[in-house]
Amino acid sequence: MASPRWLKVARDASRHKGRTLLAVLALATGLTGTGALLDTWSLVRRATAETYLASLPVSATLRVDRLDDATLAEIRASPRVAAAHVRRVASASLVAGTGETPALLFAPETFDADDMARLSLASGRWPRDGEVAIEGSSLELSRAAMGERIRVRAGMGEAAPLEVVGVAHDVSVAPGWMDHVVYGFVTAGTLQRLGTGAQEIQFRVRDAAPTRDGVRAVADDVRGIVERHGARVLAVNVPVPNQHVHAAQMDSLLFTQGGFAVLALVACALLVVNLMAALLAGQSREIAVMKSLGASPRQLLGMYLAFAAALGLAASAIALPLAAAIARPYATLKGQMLNFPVDGFAIPAWAFALQAIAGILLPIAATAFTVRRACRASVAQSLRDGAAGGDRLVTSRLAIPGVGRPLMLSLNNAFRRRGRLALTLATLAAGGAVFVAAHNLRASVVESVDAMFSGFRQDFLLRLAQPRPAAQLEAIVRATGGIALAEAWTAASANAPRGGVPGDNFTVLGLPVPSGLMSPRLAAGRRLAPGDERALVATRALAANDARFEPGAEVTLEINGAEAGWKVVGLIEGLGQPIAYAPREALGRARGDPGAALVVAAVSPADRGNALGIVLRTREALEAEGLRVATSALAAEVRRALEDHLLLVVQFLGALGWVMLAVGGMGLASTLGLAVLERTREIGVMRAIGAPHRSIVGMLQAESLVIGLIAWAIALAASIPASLALGEAFGAVMFPIPMHLAPDLAGSLQWLAAVVGISVAACAGPSLRALRIPAARALAA
Amino acid sequence: MQTLIALRGIRKEYPTPAGRFMALDGIDLDIPAGELVALVGRSGSGKSTLLNVLGGIDRPSGGEVLVRGEAIHSLSESRLSRWRGRTVGIVFQFFQLLPSLTAAENVMLPMDFAGRGSGGERRARALALLAELGIADQADKLPATLSGGQQQRVAVARALANDPAIVLADEPTGNLDSRSARDLIALLGDVVRDGRTVIVATHDRAALAHASRTVSLIDGRIETANG
Repeated sequence: MASPRWLKVARDASRHKGRTLLAVLALATGLTGTGALLDTWSLVRRATAETYLASLPVSATLRVDRLDDATLAEIRASPRVAAAHVRRVASASLVAGTGETPALLFAPETFDADDMARLSLASGRWPRDGEVAIEGSSLELSRAAMGERIRVRAGMGEAAPLEVVGVAHDVSVAPGWMDHVVYGFVTAGTLQRLGTGAQEIQFRVRDAAPTRDGVRAVADDVRGIVERHGARVLAVNVPVPNQHVHAAQMDSLLFTQGGFAVLALVACALLVVNLMAALLAGQSREIAVMKSLGASPRQLLGMYLAFAAALGLAASAIALPLAAAIARPYATLKGQMLNFPVDGFAIPAWAFALQAIAGILLPIAATAFTVRRACRASVAQSLRDGAAGGDRLVTSRLAIPGVGRPLMLSLNNAFRRRGRLALTLATLAAGGAVFVAAHNLRASVVESVDAMFSGFRQDFLLRLAQPRPAAQLEAIVRATGGIALAEAWTAASANAPRGGVPGDNFTVLGLPVPSGLMSPRLAAGRRLAPGDERALVATRALAANDARFEPGAEVTLEINGAEAGWKVVGLIEGLGQPIAYAPREALGRARGDPGAALVVAAVSPADRGNALGIVLRTREALEAEGLRVATSALAAEVRRALEDHLLLVVQFLGALGWVMLAVGGMGLASTLGLAVLERTREIGVMRAIGAPHRSIVGMLQAESLVIGLIAWAIALAASIPASLALGEAFGAVMFPIPMHLAPDLAGSLQWLAAVVGISVAACAGPSLRALRIPAARALAA
Repeated sequence: MQTLIALRGIRKEYPTPAGRFMALDGIDLDIPAGELVALVGRSGSGKSTLLNVLGGIDRPSGGEVLVRGEAIHSLSESRLSRWRGRTVGIVFQFFQLLPSLTAAENVMLPMDFAGRGSGGERRARALALLAELGIADQADKLPATLSGGQQQRVAVARALANDPAIVLADEPTGNLDSRSARDLIALLGDVVRDGRTVIVATHDRAALAHASRTVSLIDGRIETANG
């Protein structure tokens, strides 16, 4: 037979269905948000460990001018090298109709290497000469299908047809759809036929947990071996060991979102505190009666905490499957951003257990203090409070000159229960802070992208297969209709050796000085000036990789095998790539070839809508002069791709803001409901002395609005540090430049409108209930 | 007769916005076992406060409350609850039945808190008590469906559930019609005859007629103690 005290707990929950459901809903909402993030993170983490690390990623890549078997054998015999392979790589473009899509073709030594850089086939088979297997993440971008022939142009050759025979999966590359590059796997023979392909040595170190510096030291050994065999190392690339190219971004992103989800959970917990306080306020007399019947504080605590735990259990039962259902597609999206599948991985049991524990403990923790206080209150005092209908003695009140009595009454009522008011304000303000901060972040992202692109005036870029004199290129392009400004740039691969060890390779672009197409915002120092010789302006990304690139510093650069000193004169924000800009002629002298292979141009304002047509016309003009264009890119597309990825993340936070709005609304509704319940007698008195319904509703409405507006003001203030923290965290991982933090007025006004709407809606139920109670009954309460 | 309850110099003050209010001011009283004591006085004279101090549901600001020689006023909240559950049964003016529990369940609740007997034994005792009070047929009904008299009988059954030595009743007839009030007073007389001590704060003349002793209070002080 069930004990009466547990029967009471169960029946009270059922008697106050609305409030109980609200508490469960609030908890479930917060738990779902945090649970979804936790599940996503655990899925991505597991997929990373089991897919990416299982592919035995490459430790370093060295680009060389030639390679023979003896060199490779010596590298493989090196004690610190676990595996080494040769591959050929070529930049190419897929030609389809009038358009071209950038492509990267890889010709590995073998497609089924087991000791390093494992590849897999999603469908079809590995290619033979004249065939290609496309990496799955770029299949859609290539618009190709199995069995189709695609036309690929690389180097100086004509576009050659390649049959698509397979869809490959390479977890080490960033997704093709994200980087707007089609990755293809071909044989060395195919690349030879296309007349292109740089040779690379890739190796994996024996150390299971290597550091980046450790790998660099091994790379230097390998470079020594290559050079002893009479070959030249053109570039060295050492990525962060055992970390996917996008892994840091993903972790930080999930961390940032997780922070907001925790904030949402805290707001939900505050709501639960509020609801439990409301429940207990209605129970104070019953608690006193039970104490008078011999119930000890521990027995009473047990009853109410068990009730809180039951709420948590019910909320967990709703939230756990819901969180898992949200996490699966979200993790799949994250997986797509990392280019490995998350499908097939189960959410680990520990993630469910953690959510269930949090779900049960959170309401217990949220209510423990309130319950303890209620259970420890004096019996006589509780009986007196209960008999008085929960009214508190009012010993002081606000008085503002010029404010009418009904409004003053509402203001005083709003401040009557300060603890509860503080909780309601905290819940609503936390929701508002997240909402406004998410809007601010969105505005900041747009502003930051604007800032990034502000000094880049080019509308498109063409890369030629072979360098040509700059003046010739500029003359041809300028003669094309619709071009406002055109410049020919030179490019070189460089590295800044440190103590004899080569650094990571980066690109140096040679521009005319001054450049009409390139004057981005300066972060420090100055721009390139006429008369500068070996002068560099570095991007922040380059300075972040190598701290020596600070304005005023002298840096030794190795370009085409020759070392020379260069002076860093300025630092710019850049677009996130490690790049240095130098005077065109000086760079030409440093690389021993004055020819330019890049053409950048701005379209005249009248032709902005037809940028693609002008690109095609320019290509035709260049090709008519016998100049082959290898690739072309529209600046607007680059920008759109970047913004899309960033805003996807911001949208998630926006959605969380709406959830917070709902939670805050529930908090306000519960507070008002309780306020009406406690003042039933007072409302009865007002009605007995002739207050019309509209006065009572107006008073409650004003009280609700006062709370809503105060919460709005607090949310605005709280959103400032929240926006700053979020912007910093987001900018640090998602942006190559410091974020431009921008307040979004629309977000603040939307939140204001929402708060007013919530206040009106939250007040409706309690007002109607108050008016439905007959005055006589209200007075007897 | 042996003293069951001894009050020595009891004071009870309440802080109010208007200043301190002295509800009880130097009460000295000995109550022997097996008596029906009536506390009388005007509203605000301190009857309910004295009853609360006697039952350990309020602590005096000064003085001693000794029940069978045990200093009740110095017990911790937990020990006081246990003591109350074993020793005191309380009947309130507004019945104070828990609305979500049936009559039988309300009666079982003190036994549940005291850990007395099994679930079946508690129900059997609750039904026996309700039958003794003539409301066995109301056992499985919720309080809201019972009349005032029936609710007060359930409250008396609940007060007797743990077989306490002391029963305290605060204006038990204040919310009843005259017939129900008469029945209740008779019931309390039966309780005294069973060997318990009943202390009742009342204005009811019938209750005064049944009382073996009347203590009259004015402004927190004992004016007279007859019987």
